[in-house]
Amino acid sequence: MKPTRTRLAFAAALLFIGLPLLLFARAPVPSRTLLKDSLSILTILAVALLLGQFFLARTIPAVQRAFKPPRVQALHRWIGYGAITVLLLHPFLIVLPRYFEPGVRPLDALVTMLTSFDTLGVLLGLACWLLLLLLALTSHLRMRLIKRFRISYRAWRGFHALLAAGFTGLALWHAIELGRHTGWLLGGFFALLAIAGIALLARLYLPERHRPAPQAEGLHI
Amino acid sequence: MTIKSIHGCIGCGECVQSCPCDVIRLDPSSGKAVIAYPEDCQICHLCRLYCPVDAIEMSPEKTLPVITPWG
Amino acid sequence: MSKSDRQDGPSRRQFLALGGAASGLAAMGLSAGWAENRPSVDAATVAGSEHETDVLVIGGGMAGLFAAVKAHDAGARVLLVSKGRLGASGQTPFAKGFFAYDAARESLSIDDFVARVSRSALGTNNESYTRQLAEHSLDRARELKAWGFFDQVLANRPFLKPITARDIPLMERVMITHLIKQEGRIAGAAGFRLDSAETVLFRARAVVLCTGAGGFKPNGFPVCDLTHDGSIMAYRIGAKITGKEWNDGHFTRADNPAACFDNWGDMFERIPGTTGIEVHHDLGVESNYVAYETGNPLPGGPPGSVGGRKTSGGPVTPQEFQRRAGGPGGPGEGGPGSGSRRDGPPPPPDDGRKPAGGAPDFAMNASQMGGASAGMSIHKSEGLVPMDARCNSTIPGLLAAGDALGSHMAGGIYTQIGSSLAGSAVQGAIAGEEAAGYAARSEQARITPARRDGILAEILAPLKREAGYGPAWVTQTLQGVMIPNFVLYIKKESLMRAALAYVEELRDHHAPMLRAADMHELRLAFETRNMILSAEMKLRASLKRTESRCSHYRTDHPETDDANWRAWINILQGADGQMVLEKQPFGSWPDQS
Ligand SMILES: Cc1cc2nc3c(=O)[nH]c(=O)nc-3n(C[C@H](O)[C@H](O)[C@H](O)COP(=O)(O)OP(=O)(O)OC[C@H]3O[C@@H](n4cnc5c(N)ncnc54)[C@H](O)[C@@H]3O)c2cc1C
Ligand code: SF4
Ligand code: SF4
Repeated sequence: MKPTRTRLAFAAALLFIGLPLLLFARAPVPSRTLLKDSLSILTILAVALLLGQFFLARTIPAVQRAFKPPRVQALHRWIGYGAITVLLLHPFLIVLPRYFEPGVRPLDALVTMLTSFDTLGVLLGLACWLLLLLLALTSHLRMRLIKRFRISYRAWRGFHALLAAGFTGLALWHAIELGRHTGWLLGGFFALLAIAGIALLARLYLPERHRPAPQAEGLHI
Repeated sequence: MTIKSIHGCIGCGECVQSCPCDVIRLDPSSGKAVIAYPEDCQICHLCRLYCPVDAIEMSPEKTLPVITPWG
Repeated sequence: MSKSDRQDGPSRRQFLALGGAASGLAAMGLSAGWAENRPSVDAATVAGSEHETDVLVIGGGMAGLFAAVKAHDAGARVLLVSKGRLGASGQTPFAKGFFAYDAARESLSIDDFVARVSRSALGTNNESYTRQLAEHSLDRARELKAWGFFDQVLANRPFLKPITARDIPLMERVMITHLIKQEGRIAGAAGFRLDSAETVLFRARAVVLCTGAGGFKPNGFPVCDLTHDGSIMAYRIGAKITGKEWNDGHFTRADNPAACFDNWGDMFERIPGTTGIEVHHDLGVESNYVAYETGNPLPGGPPGSVGGRKTSGGPVTPQEFQRRAGGPGGPGEGGPGSGSRRDGPPPPPDDGRKPAGGAPDFAMNASQMGGASAGMSIHKSEGLVPMDARCNSTIPGLLAAGDALGSHMAGGIYTQIGSSLAGSAVQGAIAGEEAAGYAARSEQARITPARRDGILAEILAPLKREAGYGPAWVTQTLQGVMIPNFVLYIKKESLMRAALAYVEELRDHHAPMLRAADMHELRLAFETRNMILSAEMKLRASLKRTESRCSHYRTDHPETDDANWRAWINILQGADGQMVLEKQPFGSWPDQS
């Protein structure tokens, strides 16, 4: 068991941390201050790790076998809340450096940014932000929602997966439209990850419909 | 190169308006800022200072030969 | 002005986007100097809009801001139009020191202050305007403070505050090319938009020119958007222009001389602050003289001791105002390579807040390059001749303020630190009030359809020209003729006559054949024409002043000649279209003839 675990963890780190960092460094974009570059890296890692979430959702049998379900769930939760926090702060993190350097004031910059309705990428970003907020809230309140609306856990999970997939699509579109570093290199890589992740999810869900009964109750995420 | 490159533009138009020398325009198809008339840049950095996402990179070099009083 | 025509019409995006398509062609401006004109804008389809107001303020710098606000507060309908953005065009964005005379803090009385400025200026200053500056500056500083001007680096938002609060219509990125005079008084102005193929015509009872100064699009000073448009438009309808013989002597670095941001250290990124009395005799052509006598390179250092090199002769600084290196007001006070700048940065604010103060971190030892501001005189010394101390020009209904007014507030040399920015505020406010008063007692002069059509045709002419000369090429040729040290700065008759021959050629043969492929190049075409006329004025005024004084230095007339030259030089257009020069004794107002 052990070697598989380390190997899996290593592969994951490579795919969701190493490669994005490499592609960030290779982006044909001038570097900026340490603060700004750090914030860019933070944001890119948040996106990469969020994409990784698809692969922690019971989609890969090897992962299921190697790790105990509660550990996978915990990881999924921590990554989710962490990355979502970073991305919810993303608009503010963009203008934050102006606190420490001359130029347009951070609040003015934020207002200009959020009111550039002529730009598709900005509209997409606003939509993503709301979707992400919804994703975080519904995840946090899932037990209450399940009770309140008397839905099955599976139904909630389906809703969660759909929301996540929808967010991912719009977010990548937004990133490719506007991202400083998300050119075809990083953007393409992210898109591949997203397609793979969503395809795995779909494979997991679609055939299930035809199955008579759920099994492995313990694996809910 | 004067004003050198623009990365991560959100198309807000602040730089277009703030450039005293009318160097930058929004590209009609992409909606993003393009360096339309680099030879007229006076290297004053106003565009960079006004850009809400700090997308503009500058260089101290001029595209045209510079005429000075002596050399 | 009616509500319907108050704002920009098409959306921000549409506007800013138009013309981007043409960029490819225009980027070739220089190499296409002789080529066929392939306009991306079809002159036949250019739209036109007309606007009407009581007071038209042209220019969105410090002077234009106050002119608009005060004209509004005096009860006039006001429209503010500017080639660039409010607070982000002209020289205002780069000035960080604002002189505010505070009687409670100063030991000098206003009388003493005026006397000191006059001693430094060798009589070239107009004492009414010097006094007025001191009297009103603190009030203007207080208003600016309330709008947040002293809280941030960039001026656009603080400037917008009083404009939006008063609902004053603002049209940005409109280049004015013509002033319109009818029935012997001002009737309006006309120009075109940069962002769309559209001419713009304004009918106004009074016009306040706040168009700033200008230069030959020099390298190393952020004035490349200014080409004395106001002076030239006014000259063409009969106004008198003064102060063209003075020279602003700002320096830049020999490495990458065009990089004005870099050469000014961190000045452009500072928060503005106020300054107290500090009178110098600065930034004339002393360093140019040293460079002329001893050659390139010119090491950095404070004025008077340029790189420790000694020269004999040259421009004279009055004893009282001579400085010693490292002494008070010595190196590090401001200005690229100048070692000191009378527009220097303000001292740190009392509350210990960041910026504003301190010295820019210039490499004082880096080699200097002159001509940073080539084509510009000392601030406030060149521009429309004022008829009185209320910013009226010699044309009824036409006023000017700030760098566009030849008020000689500081004289033919830089005297009080921070007074240029403050002077624009003070004069703008006075001109605004005065214009509102004039508009209230006068009728709108009628602009005949023939006159309107003639002007609009003139505006579009460069777009229609199938062949001609590219503005970028003509500008570079003009720079090559005017910017050499031995023409513009260290003057003598023979070379000025030679340069004048070139300039006349450009004026007669090239200016009428300037062509433009899009609205950006149309702007360049008019700017180029204005620079050519401004160059001619500089040469003629410099030839006429057969002495040396302040920032005007002639090797063939190196002495100050008080017997003949305690006088300003005014330029006006003669009946035959030629420039006519006249003397106006210091301390007098012009003849109204
Ligand atoms: C680098 C630098 C540093 C300086 N530092 C100081 C300092 O510390 N203290 C100080 O007192 N002074 C300083 N000055 C000088 C000071 O900036 C100017 O004297 C002052 O700002 C002039 O204000 P203004 O409103 O008269 O003109 P400007 O600010 O030059 O404004 C001119 C306006 O007219 C508009 N305009 C021009 N032509 C047209 C046209 N054809 N149609 C429509 N609009 C037009 C322009 O777009 C602009 O908005 C500095 C200048 C520079 C360049
Ligand atoms: S540096 Fe100044 S002149 Fe150049 S593009 Fe930016 S704002 Fe325009
Ligand atoms: S200011 Fe910045 S974000 Fe806005 S259009 Fe210009 S480059 Fe793009």
